[in-house]
Amino acid sequence: MLFNSIDFTIFLPIVFLIYWLLNSHLRAQNLFVAISSYVFYGWWDYRFLFLIFFSTVVDFFIAKNIQKSRDPKVRKLLLICSLFTNLGLLGVFKYYNFFVENFNQAFTFLGYHVNGSSLNIVLPVGISFYTFQTLSYTIDVYRSKLQPTHNFVSFAAFVSFFPQLVAGPIERATNLLPQFYKSRKFEYTNAVDGLRQILWGLFKKMVIADNCALYADMIFNNSESYSGSTLALGAVFFAFQIYGDFSGYSDIAIGTSRLFGFNLMQNFAFPYFSRDVAEFWRRWHISLSTWFRDYLYIPLGGSRSHKVRNVFVIFLVSGFWHGANWTFIIWGAINALYFIPLLLAKRNRVNTSIVAENKRLPSPKELFNIITTFSLVTIAWVFFRAESVSHALIFIRDMFSLDLLSLPVYSIRKLIYPIVVLLAFFVVVEWFGRKDKYAIENLLKNKFTPIRWAFYTLIIFLIGMYMQTEETPFIYFQF
Amino acid sequence: MMSIQIINLIKRILIFSVFLIIGYTLLLFLFGSVLKPKHLPNLVYKVGHNYLRLQEVRQTSNVDLLFLGSSHAYRGFDTRIFSASNYKAFNLGSSSQTPIQTLILIDRYLKKLNPKLVVFEVNPMVFASDGVESGLDLIVNDNNDLHSLKMVFNQKNIKLHNTYLYTLVNGIFNDTVYVKNKAYKKGGYVAKLKPAYFNGEEQDKTLITFNENQIKSFETILRRLNKNCINYILVQAPVTSLKYNSYSNIKAFNSLMASYGDYYNYNEVLNLNDTIDFYDSHHLNQTGVNIFNKAFINFLDNNFQDLKE
Repeated sequence: MLFNSIDFTIFLPIVFLIYWLLNSHLRAQNLFVAISSYVFYGWWDYRFLFLIFFSTVVDFFIAKNIQKSRDPKVRKLLLICSLFTNLGLLGVFKYYNFFVENFNQAFTFLGYHVNGSSLNIVLPVGISFYTFQTLSYTIDVYRSKLQPTHNFVSFAAFVSFFPQLVAGPIERATNLLPQFYKSRKFEYTNAVDGLRQILWGLFKKMVIADNCALYADMIFNNSESYSGSTLALGAVFFAFQIYGDFSGYSDIAIGTSRLFGFNLMQNFAFPYFSRDVAEFWRRWHISLSTWFRDYLYIPLGGSRSHKVRNVFVIFLVSGFWHGANWTFIIWGAINALYFIPLLLAKRNRVNTSIVAENKRLPSPKELFNIITTFSLVTIAWVFFRAESVSHALIFIRDMFSLDLLSLPVYSIRKLIYPIVVLLAFFVVVEWFGRKDKYAIENLLKNKFTPIRWAFYTLIIFLIGMYMQTEETPFIYFQF
Repeated sequence: MMSIQIINLIKRILIFSVFLIIGYTLLLFLFGSVLKPKHLPNLVYKVGHNYLRLQEVRQTSNVDLLFLGSSHAYRGFDTRIFSASNYKAFNLGSSSQTPIQTLILIDRYLKKLNPKLVVFEVNPMVFASDGVESGLDLIVNDNNDLHSLKMVFNQKNIKLHNTYLYTLVNGIFNDTVYVKNKAYKKGGYVAKLKPAYFNGEEQDKTLITFNENQIKSFETILRRLNKNCINYILVQAPVTSLKYNSYSNIKAFNSLMASYGDYYNYNEVLNLNDTIDFYDSHHLNQTGVNIFNKAFINFLDNNFQDLKE
């Protein structure tokens, strides 16, 4: 079920009302969350529900046995079982064809004929997200950071919690699971805040991302026939598309959770206002970056030993996590190359505060740094969006041709006025809300209610006027 | 029990909803009045030739022939040619008209037009369509009533909602601007003014997926005609052979239509030339219209002798 669908508009209030009617029965309420989450997921394809259930059962029992066992070898073996199961599922459904095809190509290159056949596999939506979430649980139990739960219903609800099931934030068991143990209290202000965040998430997705997608697709799909400046425009549109799409999803997920009395972690913190790439990576997809930090970077030695290698590994794995394609791996590698000089110069933690804090506008230096960082990130996004590595390379080569300094082609220029105005509005609102968890959290908060409501009405109007008439899925569903 | 806070939230949402409806409508009117149509993708407010047709239909009654259907109808049946053969005809076709909109039109105008024979032009694409384009055409160009409101709610498309709301508000403040349209001819036909010819472009293979709502509306229309004792025939107007052969399940469509009554598929009857007789893959040019209409009048003369004035 898509957040931006009529189905979800009906689903959410029904689940909300029944959920709070069950408020005095915690077990029933958790069971209801689990069932609703399975309905939510099954709406897309019920056949893959067994995968979530299988992952849930395996990790529930493995974690319990890890705690029971005193023998370090047995504990380690159990952990390996969990890793093998979850990463095995991911490997089969997401990476099997990639490995087979590359294996074939490598042997063909060496002069051997190998006939490993690829399979027609459907990638289960959200598999990368929920497997990482449940893995964090088993690893934390293994590290004795978390007591395993003996309540299967709570655990099933934690793994399948519908607001963040298919595209995150990837929650840590230490944060989300305990919230299922205690009864939730409905808080009016929290719920209203959640609704506000849902509204802003919908605006990001339905107005910014979906409209940018029209032009990004138009330019990327015919990149050979456009000038350098038009290609640059296409890359910028894609940068806003992916930000609006993914952070919009996170806002809706976090806002929806708040309606049910849950607090999820912040996943995006205005990454395009970052002054260097290190800051960007502290602000982009925070739940995944911190997951890799805690469960891969630190076990590899962190910044104590082989830090350059460790950073490189993290970025490559992160790229590969996004998709079984060399384009994602190269995207990760480029970001590593951006990041490592900052790390070596010990400048990776220079910009930890909010940009232009307590000021209305950035200084010229800050603005320059923001634009430079955005440009670097946008160039890397070309690999993320392109169909193949060669497509990305040709796109970048053509983008940096002499006509980069000319105006984009008229056929595109004449169409984009509305989206340029909407993007300007979006950037201004995000800028003024950059110190909050989401842009409109405190915007107009102390103003007269009709003024605030007029602003929300304007956002809803813009959604109604500029949304696509066909339902458009979120980009990160494919990961 | 639901807590007081939840009830307060629901109350607050309801109050905001009232505020939202008023504010949204005002913004719609403001944006619609200030910005150009191309900058408002989900609002349509430009009147077209259907406006002239629907103005004319209100002045028309007791016709021999009533044509219903999409642009294949209003660009395929030239009412001037029928008039010259002593058939009083009215063409109530409109852009991409699907059975959902045809049903609304016959509810509004059938009694007044009181046709002796309804010629219902059927083509595969309208049965696969969601009907939004035609719905917009109807909302913008005709007076809106409960039928249109029902259509708007059933189709769940934001463009229809916005356009309907805008038309209602705009109707209070402004008169519809009369659009002079030389292509529109008396009786509802729209002519291609300059000679034009189809370029022979290959057509992609299309599998027709029937929309259930369209089939239901289509059956309702036929029931309504039967109930009013009005004869009807189903006609598929000619399209280019490239287009016709691009429908991979055209046989299934033809069988379905034949199961509803007398069905005449002129793609199987006439031998037209794709380049000479059409101006695009779907539409006849005036040369093609003349041939098609002559053949059709011949058919009427032979099979429906009591139709003429």
